[in-house]
Amino acid sequence: MEVKLEKQYPLDVDATRAWALLADLKATAACMPGAEITEQLSETSYKGAVKVKVGPATAQFGGTVDVLEKNDGERKVIMRGKGADKSGSSASMDLTAIVAPDPANPAHCVLNGSAAVIVNGKFAQFGGRMMVQVSEMILGQFVENFRQAALALPASAGAATPASAAEPASAAPAAAAPAVAGEINGLAIAWALIKGWFVNLFGKRA
Amino acid sequence: MNAPTQTAEARELALAGMGASRLRKEDARFIQGKGNYVDDIKMPGMLHMDIVRSPIAHGRIKKIHKEAALAIPGVHAVLTADDLKPLKLHWMPTLAGDVAAVLADEKVHFQMQEVAIVIADDRYIAADAVEAVEVEYEELPVVIDPYDALRPDAPVLREDLAGKTSGAHGPREHHNHIFTWEAGDKSAADAAFANAPVKVSQHMYYPRVHPCPLETCGCVASFDPVRGDLTTYITSQAPHVVRTVVSMLSGIPESKVRIVSPDIGGGFGNKVGVYPGYVCAIVASIVLGRPVKWVEDRMENISTTAFARDYHMDGELAATPDGKILGLRVNVVADHGAFDACADPTKFPAGLFHICSGSYDIPAAHCSVKGVYTNKAPGGVAYRCSFRVTEAVYLIERMVDVLAQKLGMDKAAIREKNFIRKEQFPYTSAFGFEYDSGDYHTALKKVLDAVDYPALRAEQAAKRADPNSPTLMGIGLVTFTEVVGAGPSKMCDILGVGMFDSCEIRVHPTGSAIARMGTITQGQGHQTTYAQIIATELGIPSEVIQVEEGDTSTAPYGLGTYGSRSTPVAGAAIALAARKIHAKARKIAAHMLEVSENDLDWEVDRFKVKGDDSKFKTMAEVAWQAYHQPPAGLEPGLEAVHYYDPPNFTYPYGIYLCVVDIDRATGETKVRRFYALDDCGTRINPMIIDGQIHGGLTEGFAVAMGQQMPFDAQGNLLGNTLMDYFLPTAVETPHWETDHTVTPSPHHPIGAKGVAESPHVGSIPTFTAAVVDAFAHVGVTHLDMPHTAYRVWKSLKEHQLAL
Repeated sequence: MEVKLEKQYPLDVDATRAWALLADLKATAACMPGAEITEQLSETSYKGAVKVKVGPATAQFGGTVDVLEKNDGERKVIMRGKGADKSGSSASMDLTAIVAPDPANPAHCVLNGSAAVIVNGKFAQFGGRMMVQVSEMILGQFVENFRQAALALPASAGAATPASAAEPASAAPAAAAPAVAGEINGLAIAWALIKGWFVNLFGKRA
Repeated sequence: MNAPTQTAEARELALAGMGASRLRKEDARFIQGKGNYVDDIKMPGMLHMDIVRSPIAHGRIKKIHKEAALAIPGVHAVLTADDLKPLKLHWMPTLAGDVAAVLADEKVHFQMQEVAIVIADDRYIAADAVEAVEVEYEELPVVIDPYDALRPDAPVLREDLAGKTSGAHGPREHHNHIFTWEAGDKSAADAAFANAPVKVSQHMYYPRVHPCPLETCGCVASFDPVRGDLTTYITSQAPHVVRTVVSMLSGIPESKVRIVSPDIGGGFGNKVGVYPGYVCAIVASIVLGRPVKWVEDRMENISTTAFARDYHMDGELAATPDGKILGLRVNVVADHGAFDACADPTKFPAGLFHICSGSYDIPAAHCSVKGVYTNKAPGGVAYRCSFRVTEAVYLIERMVDVLAQKLGMDKAAIREKNFIRKEQFPYTSAFGFEYDSGDYHTALKKVLDAVDYPALRAEQAAKRADPNSPTLMGIGLVTFTEVVGAGPSKMCDILGVGMFDSCEIRVHPTGSAIARMGTITQGQGHQTTYAQIIATELGIPSEVIQVEEGDTSTAPYGLGTYGSRSTPVAGAAIALAARKIHAKARKIAAHMLEVSENDLDWEVDRFKVKGDDSKFKTMAEVAWQAYHQPPAGLEPGLEAVHYYDPPNFTYPYGIYLCVVDIDRATGETKVRRFYALDDCGTRINPMIIDGQIHGGLTEGFAVAMGQQMPFDAQGNLLGNTLMDYFLPTAVETPHWETDHTVTPSPHHPIGAKGVAESPHVGSIPTFTAAVVDAFAHVGVTHLDMPHTAYRVWKSLKEHQLAL
């Protein structure tokens, strides 16, 4: 099952700080609910894990993330993540993320993401028809974490080079942690989906 | 016993023989929850098996890590294809002449394919251990569409067949091609089309569906390492064939293999095949020397054990301007999944699909079926039908409607015009089938009168004329003929064994009897109906006749129950075995009454001396004599065995009419009326027939209105739970009206034709016809199943009919 997502998230963070965070894979991954980077395999390759909890069932995806391209000039990163869990699901994602400055407001930026997610096995079979909504929900949580982590970076870090960006970023997750639950919680997803459905039904967009 | 004052009619009634709506003997235990199913069987020291399955549809296995699973306390073994290799059991032959992987050998070919098995102390430990087995895959491109599979650059699915330019059914033209099978006369059909003034064609897809019986598949295998014999309790519709296959695969002599099919909770074709789970449980039991139980869960059942249909069909009809059909051409691309594991008679890779000329006198016809490999589970079984007859009936009934619409003819009138006429029977079709008997015109008239067809058409016309009508009305009419009772051994065999069936009857000294059969009931009520045949043949009350099936150690060899073959084949074996007993009984009675056999008349339950009602011997008295003091020269005892090889198939038929109302706002389709007339020849138990027809219609409703097995581009089966896969309950099921005519089969000993599958085969195209008919006025000739509200609503939108 393949889902393609194109998303723009306006952020109240300046582009320099947002990019400093995005360029640091480990710190960015920490913004993903339930995700963590467990091991660096090479310059551009990491081992990671994502934990998803749906009611009493927990799925633990283990896999790799490869940074295929990182362009400081364009503030663009292209990644490929691949993973599988032991109960018979596998997933892969090609993600392109770009931080674009907001021309109207230098203190703001837009995070552009486009992703192609392929899910196989039980997750696709069970959750196929909710894939888009669930992905959007997870991305929403991610962006909120990302925003808070970026805001927590010192403004002076705006001048930081990508190489040194790792430094402040490593402190970021701790600052962001309280905002959103640390793992993907199925009940919360279900609630958000139901809420979203009602909102759509009555035309009152949140 | 029988008071002489009782009239023959009263005594006949007391027998509860053929024609009696006798209550089902099976129900006493089923409704009390006292059935004995495979999962009820517990044996001392029994272990449990679970299966590690592939999450992806196509890939290479790089490595399987067993260590973590083996470290779990209570886990006895983890076996993979490499462990089965030394036993040469990692692949097994299929009924269709192909091979199928028992456990994936280097490659997985479909999602949820069996990769490894875990044997543990209990089911829970086994399930945990399955999750602990880690398998590394290298993903390969997935092929889901059979047309894509045949492209020159399509990925090679079956690397094990590399270089094989011919298969079990002739040449292979492509690496994903299995066979091309043809029937009929191509040049005659082409000639009919070349000169025909009217031609129609239609593409239609018969979706992949699953029989989905209430009970899933499973077995308990128990190998006794001391005695060297193997007993397996199994959910099988054909236990004797399973014994032969197990013996051939394992090398254990057939005499040391005992296969028992206990109570079976529905089969519908799903329990014909031999599945990897069975083989693995047997191997595990042999390896460990302990009983091993395997029972699949619902997702495993729908995903891996025997789907049905998946036919992409192109039909063409040639006709005269006044609607007389001149020719039929059919081309089918059949998606068989990763292994060709269809359960058809050996010579017929597309089953009896060539019954697709239906109830019509079509002078020239040709069909061609191309079997193709894709990354889907294997199967292709006869889901409550006789080997692809459902597909054939769907095709021809849809085509006749398409032709009627093209010519602006009434859908009943075009059928009347093309029916095989009563006086043409026995009728040989352009495909070579010899139809035994039928009276289609009478049956059609009965149905049209019963529903007041002209009034329905008038109502429909009025609704169409009203732009504000909240509903669209559709009338579906199907006049189908089935071919069942496979089959004559000159044409039909399974793995070389002719498709006969068998019966062994023993009358006990006190006049009760036991019959053992080569078939196996899965809900059909054999224990009730078989006894009724014997009751009528031998004059023994059906209440004291015991029917046993399913244990290969006690039952005579038979090919099992599927394709509506129990009554046409085994039912005949019963009648003929009973007649052997009857002939011997007559000799004994003549001896007892001191007259010649020719001076005796048979009446219900007794032999009477001609012209003297006071001189008679009942069958019970004869039975005592057979054991007490048989006449000189006659063996004691009263029993017989008969193996019946049918001379022909039987051809039950039906006329079904359905009225639907489609909500123009929501697309929801309400079945307002469904009238089903069936002619299955002689009727053995009308109550059971009604039950069979209700069940078959309900399953047909399920297929037409909701069942589907959709796959995404990655080969994920989206819909393998009962949350997604539509099983109608009493809430959704429409009201059924049933009716019948009786046209006995002339070649069958009791004239019975078989009935259980007709309602499934016949109703599916009726629902489609009704839905399409609702759209006919805007030029729609066909809509593919399932006719779910969403899909129907999309059609409403497309044709500007939605409100």
